[in-house]
Amino acid sequence: MAVTTKLTWKEERSLQKLLGNISLRLLYKSSVHGNNIQNMNNKCIGQGPTITMIYLPEYTFGIFILGHYPEMGKNFKEPNNSFFFSFRKNETMKMTTAFLNSTLKITSEELRFDFAEFWSLHILSRNKNICIPKFLEEELGLPSDLSCRYSECEVFRVEGIKDDAGYISRITEATQHRNSLLEDLRDYKPYADLVSEIRILLLGPVGSGKSSFFNSVKSIFQGRLSRQAIVGSDITSITEQYRIYSIKYGIDGESLPFKLCDSMGLGEKEGVGLCVDDIPHILKGCVPDRYQFSPHKPITPKHPAFITSPSLKDGIHCVAYVFDINSMDNLSFEMRAKLIQVQKEVLNHGVAQVALLTKVKNSNEVLENNFSKMSKSMISQSQIIIASELLGIPVSKIFVVENYASEQEMDPVKDILILSALKQMLRAADDFLEDLPLE
Amino acid sequence: MAVTTCLTWMQEKVLQNYFGEKQFSLLYKASVHDFSSKGLLERCSNQGPTITVIYTGDYIVGAYAQNDKEEYVFITLFVFQETEISECKIGPFQLSMVFQDNCKFCVNLEKKRMYISPETKEKLGVCGYISFQECEVFRCEDLLDKRRMEGVIELKDKLLSAIRTYKPYGDLVHQTRILLLGPIGAGKSSFLNSVKSIFRGHVTNQALVGSYTCGTSDKYRTYFINDGKNADTLPFILCDSLGLSETEEGLCMGDIPYILKGHIPDRYKFDCTKPITPGHDNYIGSPLLKDRIHCVAFVFNANSVEHLSKEMVSKIKRIQRELIKCGVVHVVLLTHVDTLDMIMKGDLVDIYSCLPVKLKLEAVHRELGFPPSNIFVVRNYTSEWELEPVVDVLVLSALRQMLWAADDFLEDLPFEETDRCVW
Repeated sequence: MAVTTKLTWKEERSLQKLLGNISLRLLYKSSVHGNNIQNMNNKCIGQGPTITMIYLPEYTFGIFILGHYPEMGKNFKEPNNSFFFSFRKNETMKMTTAFLNSTLKITSEELRFDFAEFWSLHILSRNKNICIPKFLEEELGLPSDLSCRYSECEVFRVEGIKDDAGYISRITEATQHRNSLLEDLRDYKPYADLVSEIRILLLGPVGSGKSSFFNSVKSIFQGRLSRQAIVGSDITSITEQYRIYSIKYGIDGESLPFKLCDSMGLGEKEGVGLCVDDIPHILKGCVPDRYQFSPHKPITPKHPAFITSPSLKDGIHCVAYVFDINSMDNLSFEMRAKLIQVQKEVLNHGVAQVALLTKVKNSNEVLENNFSKMSKSMISQSQIIIASELLGIPVSKIFVVENYASEQEMDPVKDILILSALKQMLRAADDFLEDLPLE
Repeated sequence: MAVTTCLTWMQEKVLQNYFGEKQFSLLYKASVHDFSSKGLLERCSNQGPTITVIYTGDYIVGAYAQNDKEEYVFITLFVFQETEISECKIGPFQLSMVFQDNCKFCVNLEKKRMYISPETKEKLGVCGYISFQECEVFRCEDLLDKRRMEGVIELKDKLLSAIRTYKPYGDLVHQTRILLLGPIGAGKSSFLNSVKSIFRGHVTNQALVGSYTCGTSDKYRTYFINDGKNADTLPFILCDSLGLSETEEGLCMGDIPYILKGHIPDRYKFDCTKPITPGHDNYIGSPLLKDRIHCVAFVFNANSVEHLSKEMVSKIKRIQRELIKCGVVHVVLLTHVDTLDMIMKGDLVDIYSCLPVKLKLEAVHRELGFPPSNIFVVRNYTSEWELEPVVDVLVLSALRQMLWAADDFLEDLPFEETDRCVW
């Protein structure tokens, strides 16, 4: 019999996406190598991270173990990080996961995973039986009393995975957290319903990733890569028009309660990039969508498209200064001076301010494991300190993201950075609205 | 803790291709699993065809054992240095004896020493007792096995269905117009033929392909693609124009805005020296949204894209600027991906993971400024008579991305420009 896996290609790809571009290498197959624990152990000990797949009539059940398989008779003395997953064999091929600590014991009769207190999972090779505890069945959405005879057991080595327990936990929880953020943003309502939607203005040097950030946000809500705002790598600004972008939830969903406003990039020299005198008009809401900026001449009330009596909803509620994180160390004196000019205008209007650092390279390491705040190592990064000092913005209002520009597939951790930044911008805008004088 | 091979991507690929487009699964690594024949045999017995790789300081010695079923097997012994492989068939042996003492080839793991008989010196160039640092054993599997091929076919069917049923954003138009632009010889017409072939179900050659200096596509063509099964027209149109040239012979820069806005009719014969004018007999004076170009695909040959002349690069950047001005979203197609170094048919399944492709995308991004996420690789049908699912998936995936890009363009249009679609 050929030594090939029963895992379908689609299932394999789902695991690859979840675990971050890994490769699976078949080490043991019960129908070829003998349906007993000794043979399994011979082939699987000392192989690094593994996945054990159990093939049941309507489900495929899997166990990822980060550490080495223990030798028979020896036990892991400390809880090993594992996660459990299942595929259902139907049209939609849904995958469910659960991350748990367990200790693994191997005897000549069985593979046994012990969880907290009295729950344990048994794989009995001689009888081809698997017993899954009730709480795990519930967590994975499996039908109750699934324990039954399996047709095949396979063990794979997992190549290319990061050798870090926190990483495993993070990526299994990332999708869930990402989806939670999506729903929060969809359901968000501006403070006291003062406006129907929040407007966030993206300001920053040419090439800092403003338009890419919009594309990335839209990509997340749309579920596939968006190229609506054209980006490039020219020295001059690609964006020359003022754009007020609205974003839908899903392909045909409703518009979300915020809009991202994209402007011409800031230039170092006079007459290059966005005119500083345009900014007060943008902030008030006097500049219409698609207005063509001129580096030399700001919009005036006499311009035919000028909006003379903007309402609160037309104005900007939050300004996000956007920088390429890799350029923070080398900001020129001229650019710093221009930013100070710009910020003076923003402060005059009392609009909320945040900073967005793009093009971070290690997006998996930006947040603490529970995604609730930036990790300590990230906070100590010099680029964040520079942005904080330059703009007088507290570190808690500085967000780090990696836009979608190089990859062609969505990544939940990257999504979390982007959606978290967006959520904080909306909170900052709420603070601005709350602080408005009564009218 | 991770158990990984010492082979570089390139070394692994050379070996995989040499032994017939294989994929390797590491089963045993001496420095992790003990330098012992017991450790090796426990892991590697009954694993099907295997390849043993032994690392000396200067070169790799390997043994490929094709059939694990038989008690006695023939072994292909090879020496791998730089990218050169010398081989010699020996045997038959009992496989387990290779790791005990044997007369022609044996590996003593405990002593980290192997012996190669002088009989093989002529072919391999090495013989005698040789010390080594590491030994790894891999199972060899076909890269494109039945399981993976089934997945590819399923993916192809899904893509075909998605494209057949695709509707442009907001039903603003019934068909998306995609313009192919690129240097002469890049494969624009071949891509057209490939798309048409896929929907027809067999290879076709409607758009002429040639390598003449001035290009065979001197007319503007708008190709409607028929769906072979239903004879329905598909929801996209591929537009082909005169190729780009460094000299005066290619597409005139001044023609491009007119193409984008939909002023140029099907079969208009381009003049290299002067653009169309509103006074021309065939000029379309008031084009509708459906006549406009909704997405542009630059087509480059993957092999020559890094060697474009300065003039060509400059021209491409000028065109990009024009596209941005018109708000038209654009992507890049790299053709002939199968001719890149080390790429085999089975690699097309996961083509963006291959190192040469990654390097190529980075190069295009660096030289021409396109974001890597907007660059797709394809292989066109040029000499085959029948379709290959792995090729189809690349073409259809790229096509779907273009349709999505066109949706972005349509979504971004000012409201006034969409009114013209009200019937």
